[in-house]
Amino acid sequence: MKLRLLVQLGWRNLWRHKRRNGILLGGITFAVASVVLANSFIRGMQVQMADNAVDLMNGHVKILAPGYLDDPGIAQSFEVAQDWQPDALDGITPDMVAGWASRVRVPAVIMSERETRGIQLVGIDPASENISFVGKLAVEGEGLADAADRRVIVGAGLAEQIETLVGRRIVLITQGADGRNREAGYRVAGIYRTDSSSLEKIFVFTGRDTVQNLLETNVVTELSVRVTEERFGPPLLQRLANVFSGLDVMTWQELDPTAAAMTAIIDVAILVYFFIMMGALSFGLVNSLVTAVMERTREMGMMRAIGMRPRSVLLQVVLESTLIMGAGIAGGVLLGVLVYLPIADGVDLAAFDEALSTFGLSNVLVPQLIAQDVILVVVLSLILGFVASASPAVRCMKMGPLEAMRR
Amino acid sequence: MSEEVVQCQGVTRVYADDAVPVHALRGVDFAVHKGDWVSLAGPSGSGKSTLLHIIGGLDRPNDGSVSVDGEDLGPLSEAQLSDLRLRKIGFVFQAYNLIPVLTAVENVEFIMQLQGVGASERRDRALEILDRLGLDDIGDRRPGELSGGQQQRVAVARAVVTDPVLLLADEPSANLDTATTKELLELLRNINENHGVTIVTATHDPMVMGYAKRPVNLRDGAIESDAGATAPSPDA
Ligand SMILES: Nc1ncnc2c1ncn2[C@@H]1O[C@H](COP(=O)(O)OP(=O)(O)OP(=O)(O)O)[C@@H](O)[C@H]1O
Ligand SMILES: [Mg+2]
Repeated sequence: MKLRLLVQLGWRNLWRHKRRNGILLGGITFAVASVVLANSFIRGMQVQMADNAVDLMNGHVKILAPGYLDDPGIAQSFEVAQDWQPDALDGITPDMVAGWASRVRVPAVIMSERETRGIQLVGIDPASENISFVGKLAVEGEGLADAADRRVIVGAGLAEQIETLVGRRIVLITQGADGRNREAGYRVAGIYRTDSSSLEKIFVFTGRDTVQNLLETNVVTELSVRVTEERFGPPLLQRLANVFSGLDVMTWQELDPTAAAMTAIIDVAILVYFFIMMGALSFGLVNSLVTAVMERTREMGMMRAIGMRPRSVLLQVVLESTLIMGAGIAGGVLLGVLVYLPIADGVDLAAFDEALSTFGLSNVLVPQLIAQDVILVVVLSLILGFVASASPAVRCMKMGPLEAMRR
Repeated sequence: MSEEVVQCQGVTRVYADDAVPVHALRGVDFAVHKGDWVSLAGPSGSGKSTLLHIIGGLDRPNDGSVSVDGEDLGPLSEAQLSDLRLRKIGFVFQAYNLIPVLTAVENVEFIMQLQGVGASERRDRALEILDRLGLDDIGDRRPGELSGGQQQRVAVARAVVTDPVLLLADEPSANLDTATTKELLELLRNINENHGVTIVTATHDPMVMGYAKRPVNLRDGAIESDAGATAPSPDA
């Protein structure tokens, strides 16, 4: 009953200053919409960074032989059964696992007729590489057919350095577990291109069986598993750690601490960004709210003089600002979502290409609108509006009805 | 014996915020009887408003005691004072009496809303009082659409609609011309004589003093003369 009176008063007061409240409403809407959108882009970058790190043959969880990271070579290896499946593990269902791939990755030397370079030779099963960037490579020429393919794929950067072309032959030299060097000649099936030229110069791919044959072994050096959702990572990690006891079972965050730190910073950055953005944009808004309350000091004094409880007067003023903040926030979220929808599939940022690729980002940024971020903006904005209107109102309440009426 | 609606004893009010303390009231003894219309007069700064505010529970004396309708204001908390103002006292201020976003009827209803009077009863009583005070044709207008005199009369309607024991008015005619002032004073007289509402006004306006039953003169925070201090109150 009382609340109805307060809401009614608040509502009427909002219409009293149509123009000013209209501007206020527009300002809040704009601020909230821009923060919602900016958040979706920052989240998009975060997801992309994490994705890139996972894509870089890490998977969400990777199994390595102890010591491999310090001394990557065929000596630090392990065996995996041909028909091994992660989704047969206790508590892991097929829908949790996006895929898995075992590889033999060893340091090697590549030689053309003209040049020699140190590289990483990676023996893969192309059928299982849809979980990493390898499966998405743009290849000139042909890709690898299967794990037994005896041809190689080299990066464009490396191909240029060693002056080779599709169809030419190259020689690979690498060290076996026994310390003896093995070497063999291979034909270049294709040349791949990526956004990163350093990557192109490092990785040379061939069939997994081919590398095993060269090294006269049936072991692998790594096994990556990719999950469908980030949250399935920890349970999978635990199961794998049980099954592969004695091996190193690691998360992508452990394998790529830089990327992990960057994504962690973004969680904080979103908050910081909110305060910078709202702080800057809302300086005027907070001011308007404060003014709106201040200029009604006399009226509030009168209402108290005739017997309205201070708490009710306070509530009325706060309710009023909350109405306008609420409307602005709702409008802002709506506007943000409306702008987001047409760009939800990604925005081409080719113009900022170079700056972005140094952060390990690709040209197309896919914004991510997350409910949790929107809720954060809504709650923080409401608090901001509450404080901006409650603090001058409280000050007015402190001065007593007579003093307030004299203003 | 007449009932005393207001009873002041040794009321002292000192404003000490400035370097030199201002003695607005210096031990005022004063009583208002039921059905009285007291007019506080005196030069500017003599303490009229201060006394009116203290009687109305809007200000507290530094010393002395005040009771309204037999209730000692001294021990009351701010919230209790607020409730007392709502239940027992009607206020008419010099200006800014009304809530700008509410119509005249709604302004009159507002105070009953605070008291928790039901919607239909509220509306009936508001319309009735406006009708009785000859304001029925302006009930739908907002304060901005009313003249100063009309606003003051709506304020009176709001002040008396709750049947207060006491109506306090500080310079009610300050912003009004002679004709309008006369209308307002006739209204107050009507309320005072026909409805038995006790009134205290504070004013410089000789016209207001002329209508009041009992002029009280203040000077330098003390009562200089009081027509009712010795004489029996009108309805005794
Ligand atoms: N809030 C205040 N702070 C300081 N001094 C005050 C305050 N209110 C009133 N005074 C002082 O107290 C004295 C009495 O003031 P009061 O307003 O009661 O006079 P008044 O008789 O109503 O005068 P007026 O006819 O001008 O309205 C004056 O000297 C005034 O300056
Ligand atoms: Mg005065």
